[in-house]
Amino acid sequence: MSTAQRPSADDPRILLDQEAGVFEPVPPYPPRTEREAEFYTLGDGQMFLNMGPQHPSTHGVLRVVLKIDGENVVDLDPVLGYLHRGVEKLAENADYHQVISQVDPLEYVSSLFNEWGAVLSFEKLLDVEVPRRAEYIRVLSAELNRIASHALFMGWMALDLGGLTPILWSFIERDEIVEMLASLTGQRMLFNYFRIGGVNGDLNHDFMSRLGNWMSRATEQIEASQGLLNENEIFVRRMRGLGPIDTKTALRMCFTGPNLRATGVPFDIRRAHPYSVYPELDFDIPTRVEGDCLARYLLRVDEVKQSLRIIDQCLHQMPDGPVMAKLPRLLRPRPGRAYSAVESPRGQYATYVVSDGTDQPFRMRIHDPSYIHLQSVGLLMQGNLIADTMAIMASLDPIMGGVDK
Amino acid sequence: MTVVARTWNRLTLPGKVIFTIVPLLIVLTAGLVITLVLVGPFLVDFIAANLAIARFVVAATVILLITVPTAFLIIYMEMKGIALMNLRIGPDRVGPYGSLLSVVHGLKVLMKEDFTPTGADPIVFTWAPVVVYLTSVMTLLVIPFAPDGLVAQNFNLGLLYFFAISGLSVVGLLMGGWASFNKYSLLGGIRSAAQVVSYEIPLVLSVVGVIMLAGTMDLTIIVQNQAGWFTDWYIWQQPLAVVIFFIAATAEANRTPFDLTEADSEIVAGFATEYSGMRFGFFFFAEYVNVFIISALTVTLFLGGWNAPVAWPEQWAIDLSLDPGSLGIGLLLVVLIAPLVLTLLFATPLWLISSRIKTWQALLGGFVLANLFIVGLVVGVGYIGFAWVAGLLWFMLKTYVLVFTFVWMRGTLPRVRIDQLMNFAWKWLMELAFLNIFVTAGAIILIEYLRRS
Repeated sequence: MSTAQRPSADDPRILLDQEAGVFEPVPPYPPRTEREAEFYTLGDGQMFLNMGPQHPSTHGVLRVVLKIDGENVVDLDPVLGYLHRGVEKLAENADYHQVISQVDPLEYVSSLFNEWGAVLSFEKLLDVEVPRRAEYIRVLSAELNRIASHALFMGWMALDLGGLTPILWSFIERDEIVEMLASLTGQRMLFNYFRIGGVNGDLNHDFMSRLGNWMSRATEQIEASQGLLNENEIFVRRMRGLGPIDTKTALRMCFTGPNLRATGVPFDIRRAHPYSVYPELDFDIPTRVEGDCLARYLLRVDEVKQSLRIIDQCLHQMPDGPVMAKLPRLLRPRPGRAYSAVESPRGQYATYVVSDGTDQPFRMRIHDPSYIHLQSVGLLMQGNLIADTMAIMASLDPIMGGVDK
Repeated sequence: MTVVARTWNRLTLPGKVIFTIVPLLIVLTAGLVITLVLVGPFLVDFIAANLAIARFVVAATVILLITVPTAFLIIYMEMKGIALMNLRIGPDRVGPYGSLLSVVHGLKVLMKEDFTPTGADPIVFTWAPVVVYLTSVMTLLVIPFAPDGLVAQNFNLGLLYFFAISGLSVVGLLMGGWASFNKYSLLGGIRSAAQVVSYEIPLVLSVVGVIMLAGTMDLTIIVQNQAGWFTDWYIWQQPLAVVIFFIAATAEANRTPFDLTEADSEIVAGFATEYSGMRFGFFFFAEYVNVFIISALTVTLFLGGWNAPVAWPEQWAIDLSLDPGSLGIGLLLVVLIAPLVLTLLFATPLWLISSRIKTWQALLGGFVLANLFIVGLVVGVGYIGFAWVAGLLWFMLKTYVLVFTFVWMRGTLPRVRIDQLMNFAWKWLMELAFLNIFVTAGAIILIEYLRRS
């Protein structure tokens, strides 16, 4: 259609042009870096495949541009930023209490760890002594949240490999935990429960009765849902040896958490740089040496069992007392800086906060493990098939809320 | 004019409807009767002259029509079955236990917008679902459902025809994948071509043993050869072939764990990504019709087809050559009185059993029980008296057990990878199928030799 035939430049009917509706993943601007120029040059028999941001299994709104040769992935380029909300900037314009609710939706399947990271750094700034009962409640609820997060991971892992049932089975566990935490904190997902100097409210009867009920059958239920996958020939054959990473590369790519422990390094913030009451608790750091998808998956199954041990000890050792330290309403820490890290279900979740003496943080930097792990997808995926792209990405367990912040 | 208008306006809405429809019906009926009277003799002569063609037209139409309720039933089975495996409730709103939900799904796809994307090839895009659906329906033509000619078209190369036509469905999938102008669709189409062509080979090779044993490709004769006890079924003589055939057939039908063509976590919906409305409905129906067909063919080849697992003893056979007309007016009396007598017969014990049951409740219960009794009697008499009723019952029972196996697999297994899929077909299934052929041939020659000497 020539320009003369068009009704007008801003007439919506020009969208009916032949070229309209054809989306090419190549960016409209000239390449900005050498890497971009190399990636967006097609070789013989290659084509681009745009996965996401609206795709059934990119775990949120991640966009991955795949350069494929038939079924083989030659190269790939993750495009981030579809869920960017500027949480770090928002935190600079909120006072210290409000920041806790701002960081909640970062890793939205394990919100308590986001709160814990922020709260821990603020407590370091303010030199607050947290009551021991509050510390135990924090450990208890956070470990429950870790189990819920890992349950979701196992279900998604199977769903990305085409299994329909495991996700619904693990959602039964997750739903029970989330309901339990809702009776404790008031919310199912974004709890906003931890406070500077304690937690918002003591354990209640509803929570305790649900927890006791669940704990009595948790081990058997988790074993049952894992039996469907761990003993499945197709699942194990697809996962074994897929996306392997060795210890050296993992350390170089700043891996932490289960992804690092799956390569054989027993690094866990709860033991390496202890915080809260973890030194008083008895639990193991499970490790595996293979470093492939199956190892990453099985390691999380082991971690769930350790979390159950921790919960059991918390319930037995929990002291009486207040759950909140005595603090003024308006918090004005002295000028300075504080850093704290917690072991989230994905790895090291760290918060670095700078105070200028006012009631708002001057700067808050959030180190999110999902973002760090997502850097290595290009490394892990080259030479694999399209079907494995999703499996490898799922095995790293990124949460896009945390990646894009 | 005013009289007519006034009379018309005084009518209620139902009256208006009746006054419009009844004359129309009368005119149409009269026209039909006159046409039949005028054309009837010629029509009867024409049908009598071309009886085979007329039978084929009727049979093909019936087959085409029964695929729709079959697909509805299997879709409902899958929704409910997978829901129960997932510890969900599943459909429970429309109809008893949600059993009409698949019908509602069918209506939904009929009413949705039929969308053709920009850049698609409209002609190929439109015809792809038709090709896929029609190949599914055409393969059903040679499946013998029951003895006494309950097969749409019986001919001596039935099995060959089946494989020839079922191989055509890949053309439809490729057409859909290519014409959609979408990379996911293209990948799905290419995958389906690779997969179906690869698995066609072990599928065909695995039934060679059965063809050698039966000495024919006529499916009706293959089933007749398996008559008797369940030990006469070919599954015992061809155990390896059953396994190969079932796996290859699962891949042929693009079902879990071989559903790579529509792997939703990888390539969205494969070749069906850009389809909507009834065109998608055709793809969707064809998938479930394929499940039925493959179960039916497995039953036909290996599980005795319409034969009951236990042979009905000859001395128990009942001669039902009863002519209802010989009862005369007595037939009318039996038809009128039997329900009443039966209702009272079943109501009396209910009425006596407890004082809590009121008289009307007892009568209602008696009526329901009497109806069940009559239905049971009719089915029982049909089962004993007519071979095709028994055959159809056994055939459907066996087929739906296999259909449930497909649903079960879908609820349990993850998907295999494309290279594993290809390795499995070319490195394992094909070699095993050849082994099966050689062992079967050797056994046949050996038995012949021993019999002669």
